[in-house]
Amino acid sequence: MSATRGEHEQYFDGPLFSGLPSLIVAAHELKSPLALVRQLSLMLEDGNVSADDQKKMLRQISLTSERALRLTSDLTKSVRLPDALFTLEPINPQQLCEDIIRELKPLFVANNRQVKLTSRRRSLLLVANRDLLRRIIMNFSDNALNYAEGDDCIEIKIGTHNSGKIIRLGVRDYGPALPSDLFKSLKNKLVNVSSTPIHARPQSSGLGLYIVSQFADAMNGKIGVTRHRDGATFYVDLQASKQLNLL
Amino acid sequence: MNSQSVLIVEDDKWLAEQYARVLNLAGYKTNISLHALAAIQAIDDNRPDVIILDVLLSGSTAITLLNELQSYSDTSKIPIILCTNLASEISIDDMEPYGVRKILNKATMMPDDLTSAVKSVLL
Repeated sequence: MSATRGEHEQYFDGPLFSGLPSLIVAAHELKSPLALVRQLSLMLEDGNVSADDQKKMLRQISLTSERALRLTSDLTKSVRLPDALFTLEPINPQQLCEDIIRELKPLFVANNRQVKLTSRRRSLLLVANRDLLRRIIMNFSDNALNYAEGDDCIEIKIGTHNSGKIIRLGVRDYGPALPSDLFKSLKNKLVNVSSTPIHARPQSSGLGLYIVSQFADAMNGKIGVTRHRDGATFYVDLQASKQLNLL
Repeated sequence: MNSQSVLIVEDDKWLAEQYARVLNLAGYKTNISLHALAAIQAIDDNRPDVIILDVLLSGSTAITLLNELQSYSDTSKIPIILCTNLASEISIDDMEPYGVRKILNKATMMPDDLTSAVKSVLL
């Protein structure tokens, strides 16, 4: 999963910035799913929809609500992170990713998309907190689902770096290319939202990346992105476990 | 069936589908573009009568698209309806030079407001 010709790889060094994310950014992030749920509910109330559409809309309401709830839960977790006690343990990344795919499957099905896992037959164990790592991969997957285009499958990839000392978990989407200055602008947006120009995009990846960068940092890991011509791979690098992989 | 067509530029696919559902019921033909680049292609392929545009798009922003549309005489006349969560922060006076004719607030609008807005800019 190292960068090849035409690709650009970029690391975050630790959390994007210190301090709490702006409440305005969080509010914006939640506005979108709430606005969607409201529009769908109003349409259903009106009753002028077919039975098939009704079923589809109800499914979208529940999945959108779950997504918004995941965000609020991640946000709460990130704010409490400095005071929280959590364990780092050897984790089988393949098992964890398979669980995440199972959990996200209804969301992918509802979006007519597929997700697949690419890894070695026997993945090395990594050292992480299961809950935080799960939240990071869920966030990347959610993000990929939003930005992917066409019928391309979204891939969750497990690879190794630095002679097997680092395990990289990445989520590859096939969508519009990521602007090169995105991360720099994300920092500015979140630090000083009041000056955010209206054409910027404070929601989605901004807050999500802020949160997961904190989660990664708490596990001595790093998040980063590889930009491809046709999309991006968001990844987290974590230390490989020195414990012998007996799985 | 109304022969007039509406291009919906909205990066939330389900919300875009909801707008299309409402407008289709009112008899309009609809197309959806999930980002500004796809919108430019869609406009080249099939010039819409109205564009419904979200402000916060992934990749290129709505302002990029508005500037692009204003650069060509044939596309500069297409009426634009902004449909955004930032409605309270945007003034119609500031946006009129970009071809924006109406601004709808995603958070407070009713589904029928979309049809009314399209009708009014086509008058």
